Amino acid sequence: MRYYVQRVALAILLLLAVSMLTFGALNVLGDPLFNILGPVAGDVNNPDSVKMIELAKREFSLDRPLPVRYAIWLSDFVRGDFGVTFSSTGQPPVSGVISERLPRTVTLVAMAQFFAILVSIPWALITASRAGKFSDRISTLNAFFLVAMPNFALAVILKFVFSIKLGWMPLTFVADDPLSSRLFQMILPALTIGLPVAAVYQRLLRTDIITTLQQDFILLARTKGLSRTRILLVHALRPSLFSFITVVGLNTGALIGGSIVSETVFRIPGIGSTLVESVLRNDFPVVLAIVMIVASAFVIINLLVDFAYTLIDPRVRR
Amino acid sequence: MNTPNTNSGAETEVARKKLGFGFWLCVGWLGAMVFIALFTPLLPLKSPTANFLDPSQGRPPYSPSWKHWFGTDKDARDVFARTMHGARISLTVGFSAITAGFLVGGTIGVMSGYFRSWIDRVSSFVFVVLLSFPSLVLAILLTSLIERSLLTVSLVLGLLSIAPVGRLARAATLQYSEREFVLAARQIGAKDRHIIVKEILPNVAIPMSSLALLGMAVAVVAEGGLAFLGLSVEKGITWGGLIQLGSDASKTLEKAPWISFFPILMLFLTVLSLNFAGDRLRTFFDVKEMTL
Repeated sequence: MRYYVQRVALAILLLLAVSMLTFGALNVLGDPLFNILGPVAGDVNNPDSVKMIELAKREFSLDRPLPVRYAIWLSDFVRGDFGVTFSSTGQPPVSGVISERLPRTVTLVAMAQFFAILVSIPWALITASRAGKFSDRISTLNAFFLVAMPNFALAVILKFVFSIKLGWMPLTFVADDPLSSRLFQMILPALTIGLPVAAVYQRLLRTDIITTLQQDFILLARTKGLSRTRILLVHALRPSLFSFITVVGLNTGALIGGSIVSETVFRIPGIGSTLVESVLRNDFPVVLAIVMIVASAFVIINLLVDFAYTLIDPRVRR
Repeated sequence: MNTPNTNSGAETEVARKKLGFGFWLCVGWLGAMVFIALFTPLLPLKSPTANFLDPSQGRPPYSPSWKHWFGTDKDARDVFARTMHGARISLTVGFSAITAGFLVGGTIGVMSGYFRSWIDRVSSFVFVVLLSFPSLVLAILLTSLIERSLLTVSLVLGLLSIAPVGRLARAATLQYSEREFVLAARQIGAKDRHIIVKEILPNVAIPMSSLALLGMAVAVVAEGGLAFLGLSVEKGITWGGLIQLGSDASKTLEKAPWISFFPILMLFLTVLSLNFAGDRLRTFFDVKEMTL
């Protein structure tokens, strides 16, 4: 029990540190006033502008010292109030933006993860059973190619081949379409994120299956005359999945990173593309909220993976 | 099930002995890229910013031809010249970022692995904080807040590589800090600084340096991603920026795919070479369980 409490406490501490750093960086390095008021913010000689600046400062509580603002933001944030967007009207509220866009990113990441697993397991099984042969070497080379292709470049290529040249896939994401067609529109973006990850998973799982295949119980299964497919699927796969599951869990964070690029290329209004837009518009409350959501997801997933370990292997708890 | 265990032992043994043809091919490509990056202004390239309007061909973009090997973009600028110029920023940022990361991260990692105590606890926590952002998120956050010059973008990406490099350096140092030769050095009265520099560093530096190429690949991709999102070096030509320009509108991509595809090819081959050569070196030095 103590172990769990310690880990959760550490995770909370971590998120506090992340939020302080982000909040500090945004407020020290950036200039929120310019974004709210436009050019007026720099016009300190004109009394009218000064009045507007004062007003805006009070409205967005920018006149308080930084630690106080942080405390206010934090107490609002933990209660689910993410504040107002930095614009002339302050509308829409950040939580509205997030609740509209987060589901799309979650769907996209889940789909990417699904594709990655779907591709990597059969790929690893086939190559592991032919380790060292010609087809395995070709596949290793392919994995290398996939990993070396930056995801924004992969996105452009997929878009060119499947949407433009072959016309199999829709070009854009339409937020008002029914769910099924929106899911269809997400296939290419999800492949963009998932394919390079599939190559990483495949490399890992292939090595683990090769190790498993050298065990005595596989030899026994073979002497019993079981078929190759049956041995691979029933006997070899399950004991090889341990580190695979860990990496799949930990990789979810990397997938969120990939979704930023993919959402931008395919114009999906998720939190990844919103992050880029908001960062360019200096819309700090939105940026802060997204960074916190992403970091929380990251930390919570790590925590769950660690806890899953303790269930499998109690020695980790110490 | 045709004896799956025949390969591993024998094959890795052979692979370790020599770096292989593929490795030298990659080194050749990287050498060429470095040469281009270093001497871009001296090479007989067309101007990357001039407009080569050619009324006889109608409206640009013009497709690849003898005159314009990689074609031109819609302002009739030479894609070949622009792609070659792009090598400069990509490689400079990649190289300086990983150098900065190795200097700072390496120092912190070795120190915390050697001295342990509070240094280790503080630096480990800082590493965990840095690693709890997806690195692209942190890069976007920082680059959006600063003036984006070659130096600052390199520093941001360098900052991002501190945590992973530091962790590796720490792990590698831990392996050696209790070994006999270190204990012996301490026994004869050697100072900590002497032990770190003369006893530990040589052992840590070799496996770490074989990871430098892999790290540089990560940095080059990261720079490309930032440039693609419009958040890399503001003035100047980058591969990511060229790819973005050629794919921004689906119509451009449809009509003139060469604008983005040639920079993609260059970037891909460069990252592939860095990854492949780095991976080969890693096997060559037998560095295990270290990933960036």
